[in-house]
Amino acid sequence: MRPENGERRGWWKSSAAADGEQQLDAVGILLLLPATLLLVVMFIGPVGFAFYLGVTNIALVGPTAQHFHFTGLKNLHRLVNDRLFWESLKLTAIFLGASAVVGVTIIGMALAVLMQHAVTWLRTVVGAIVVVAWMLPPITAALLWYAFSTTGGTLSLLSGSDSDILNDFPMTIVCLANIWSTAGFSMLVLSSGLRTVPAEVLEAGKMEGASRWQVFRSLTLPIMRPTIVTNVLLVTLLSLANFSLIYIMTAGGPGNATNILPIYSYQQAFQFNKLAYGALLGDVVVIIATVFAYLYVRVSRPSRAGYRPQGKLA
Amino acid sequence: MVQYKPRHLASSFAALAMGVGLLGSSGISGRALAADKTVISVAYGETYVFDTEDLTKKWWNGVKAEFEAKFPDATLQLVPIGGGYDDITNKLSLLYRSSRTAPDVAQIATPVIGQFSSSGYLLPLDSYLADEAWWKQFPKVIQGEGVFQGKTYAVNTGENDSQLYYNMDLFKKAGLPVPWTPHNWNDILNAARTIKAKLPHIIPVWLNAGSSSGDNGILQGAGNLLAGSTVPTIYDKKTQKWVVDSPGLREVLDFYHSVYSEGMGANLSDLFSPSAVTIPLTLIAQGKVAITFGSNYYGGNWTKLICSPCWADATKVAGVVPIPTVDGHSPDIATTVGGWDFAVSASTKSPHYAWELVKLMESDINQINAANWAGFVPANQLIVKEPAFVDFAPPYNAVSAQVLPYGVISPASGDYLVWSHGLQEATGALAQHPNTTVDAAIGVMSDYVSNQLDSSAVETLK
Repeated sequence: MRPENGERRGWWKSSAAADGEQQLDAVGILLLLPATLLLVVMFIGPVGFAFYLGVTNIALVGPTAQHFHFTGLKNLHRLVNDRLFWESLKLTAIFLGASAVVGVTIIGMALAVLMQHAVTWLRTVVGAIVVVAWMLPPITAALLWYAFSTTGGTLSLLSGSDSDILNDFPMTIVCLANIWSTAGFSMLVLSSGLRTVPAEVLEAGKMEGASRWQVFRSLTLPIMRPTIVTNVLLVTLLSLANFSLIYIMTAGGPGNATNILPIYSYQQAFQFNKLAYGALLGDVVVIIATVFAYLYVRVSRPSRAGYRPQGKLA
Repeated sequence: MVQYKPRHLASSFAALAMGVGLLGSSGISGRALAADKTVISVAYGETYVFDTEDLTKKWWNGVKAEFEAKFPDATLQLVPIGGGYDDITNKLSLLYRSSRTAPDVAQIATPVIGQFSSSGYLLPLDSYLADEAWWKQFPKVIQGEGVFQGKTYAVNTGENDSQLYYNMDLFKKAGLPVPWTPHNWNDILNAARTIKAKLPHIIPVWLNAGSSSGDNGILQGAGNLLAGSTVPTIYDKKTQKWVVDSPGLREVLDFYHSVYSEGMGANLSDLFSPSAVTIPLTLIAQGKVAITFGSNYYGGNWTKLICSPCWADATKVAGVVPIPTVDGHSPDIATTVGGWDFAVSASTKSPHYAWELVKLMESDINQINAANWAGFVPANQLIVKEPAFVDFAPPYNAVSAQVLPYGVISPASGDYLVWSHGLQEATGALAQHPNTTVDAAIGVMSDYVSNQLDSSAVETLK
């Protein structure tokens, strides 16, 4: 007979000493069940099915709408050879890089720092304005920026011409619109990060004769690094999902100048009825989002003994 | 350590039971509520097809009341679909995926009937149509829009075609003849050049370009020109390939090149606006544009009833003529045709009532009201002569009825939308970059369609 031993004893085995843990495990599993079911039914199932649809010939409507079948690597072959896909991937990287990584973080940080040093009433007013911009639905932000940047809008009036700045510089304008609508979120995250920077550390820096810029660059930024990385990842995920902003402003045009992957996926699935290829493009978006989500989880995980995420970030 | 508490589990089960109960109760179908009557459902565009939502309700509630009065043992369930053109097609596609949710009758856009019928969703209507007098009044070209593999799957309930609108006041100021009758495309360009020279602040020509309006921009723009070109082929049935370069396409793009390289087009903000196709309605009324390639619904929209925008003096100021062919070749009328059709579900349990509903909706009065309230041209050639239609928006409705039989219908294949997008990109390039050559624009279109459909699926016609 195998000797009873705490490490090997299963939760189903009776033991007075282990009763509490036994029942906790049973209840724990039971309580986790709805969430697990929801996750499987509402997320893993549909995403898995979308991956499957990506390698079929399903159409939204047409002969293969219901009688579709697995087509092997055919769609993947098309994806690899699709010039517009690579162009779209590049545009997605530009949109995320320029608006989410650079724009939102820099503007958000600038706002957060300025707010820290502003007088109370100004901080309240500016904070409220920026947060309202963030809270506006994407459709409102898109319409505002559409009116602002097309002929007859404020931007063309300021430039003293009747030029159509949105269509002349489409990617720049949609990036600015995204920065405008997301900077409030970034400001909130980074403001709370700034408050965690120990005042005595900054004071010590100043006593050593460091300038404001040196204190900011060599002390504040390194201390805030995990917050900044978290913010960048979150804003990137938010921007990746911000389909409506670009769709309303340009629908991916003019030409294909703002045709980022979510727009291209929608166009294939719901305008050209090519549901399978649209699903495959959507799968690429899922993979990109998963990479960023994984990085976010890694960075935001609390440090524990023996674990140092990204080494320097711990 | 957290301890197990029985009441937590009990309350969890209670919540689960309530949830399941709520889920179950939400699944009551409309059919079950009226189990004693035959329920027929009809799906239609709620916000896009008719000119106003009030008129949508008025027409469909009228149909429901008329149907239920005529068939007391039946109930008509209205299934309105909100959103635009793509939204209606997408929603219908989803509804038809299951026979449980498929509407018995649906209002379907003409260009996608082929895709719905090839999905096996629609019931052939030939046996029902054989004895209908009203069906015999439809022009052949319109009867054919619902025919696939020799069977008729849909009947039209209103068409859109295109004409040239011109501002008579501006023409007089520029010394151009009124009434104006262009016989070929050069006549249009020459009139536009005169306008530009004499009235430099006026937009000489509104001609849709770019992809912001989707295929609507083609139907109300380049498609009309292609229909009047020397080689109007879009899809070569012999080779089963899409035409991406042809003398016809070059004539069309050359016309675009002339308009935009000579600075005779509208500004990009308006052309590339999501609502581009409706912008000229206001520009014409404001006297800002001289010549417009526009749809048949303009006249109706200017009436007091539709008022989008209201323009009491429309008939005194806005002239209308058919779009000529490129060189005046017969019939010297060029227009696209696209509209909405009624189709019956292949899975309907009551084909008799479904067909009775279609017949009722095709009655003279319902078709006249649909035409006037949705900006259609009725397909029935007797109805287009009815004063109730002609006098609703004179002289516009008469001209749109005159050009209808000459209309060209877009290919029914799903890939047509890819071809259409390619042409939209080509016209957009010419409008945005006036130094784009016709060769370059052909290249834009050819690249796009080849990339999307494969180079083996496209061809050049000489």
